Amino acid sequence: MPNSNPVASIRRTLRHSRWLQVLALIAIWYLAEMLVHWLHVPISGGVAGLLLLLALFASGRFSPRNLRRGAMWFLAEMLLFFIPAVPAIINHREFLGWLGIKVLIVILAGTLIVMVTTALVVELYFRWFARQARPGPMDGAQS
Amino acid sequence: MSNLANGWMQTATMAVVESVLLWSVVTIGLYYLVKRLNRRLPAWWSAPIFLTPVLLIFITLTFNTNYATYLRGTHWLIVLLGPATVAFAVPIHEQRHLILRHWPALVIGVLAGSSVAILSSWILASLLGLHGALRLSLLPRSVSTPFAMVVSGEIGGIPELTAIFVILTGVFGASIGETILYWLPLRSFMARGALFGMGAHAVGSAKALEINRDEGAIAGLVMIFAGIVNVLAAPVLAYILQKL
Repeated sequence: MPNSNPVASIRRTLRHSRWLQVLALIAIWYLAEMLVHWLHVPISGGVAGLLLLLALFASGRFSPRNLRRGAMWFLAEMLLFFIPAVPAIINHREFLGWLGIKVLIVILAGTLIVMVTTALVVELYFRWFARQARPGPMDGAQS
Repeated sequence: MSNLANGWMQTATMAVVESVLLWSVVTIGLYYLVKRLNRRLPAWWSAPIFLTPVLLIFITLTFNTNYATYLRGTHWLIVLLGPATVAFAVPIHEQRHLILRHWPALVIGVLAGSSVAILSSWILASLLGLHGALRLSLLPRSVSTPFAMVVSGEIGGIPELTAIFVILTGVFGASIGETILYWLPLRSFMARGALFGMGAHAVGSAKALEINRDEGAIAGLVMIFAGIVNVLAAPVLAYILQKL
């Protein structure tokens, strides 16, 4: 009987429930947070949890399908988790005025430069790579 | 006496519970309303990461609530950025073959992007007459908040200011990213993803995910890789800045 195996039934339940997967991701993050705290590793629990989970997926013992729905929910709503940090600006009235405009110019122009440079460097690498590897498939460069 | 202390404790707990409930409901409610509005009326000003905080600032100022009170009620949402980072494991795993095959592209992109981020911030700030700790706080802006704050502290900036600059960078970068894609015909999805992950960290990665899952995976990977590279390079950067 396929239902008699408790591990399989837990797995089946997990695979179908987005909210269980969300809770599982929170649990993984929490464990990773405790681990980096305990080992004094200078990375955040989020990054440690990400690396642990990638290792777990790579080992083949745990399929990403078990967490897919939860992960996609987290990523789709990620902006919500940033929003409470933004009104911190009201604590910095010194930026109302010229100083704020100057800072804003640095941020706007700087970000534009960073985005364009990064994209061009990666794109040029691919055009070069595609030329080297021709007539092979341009799998990294498909539109 | 103990009765009085008890009563006070209860009132304090009630106040915390109330502020958590109130500000969480207000924040989440506004976020979903703005999201719906943005779907109907797509424009930069209706983007949830821009319009929601603007409305929240307006509401907190109207009701005379200071930011500390607001943050006490909604801090748990920021904490969820941790598990959201973990969630990137799924799309990154799905792209593992391409990433393993083309990792030099990502390494070059992150190294070029990080150097340009720090250099351009330094030069622009200097040109505009910004100096000292403020200028230093602007340098690690392009990597996500936890990394940026570590770097900022190490090079002599003010981590708290850097956190605000990081958010502004993300908000701006995510909203101009699509315009850049329009003007810059990028053939490779890795270039499109790297643009968001390097220039606008997690906010950009969320935007990239909206465009396409593949771009989102690359953006998330680039964001995390850039964070780690910047933290590792911070002592070197601090040394160079001292020699200047």
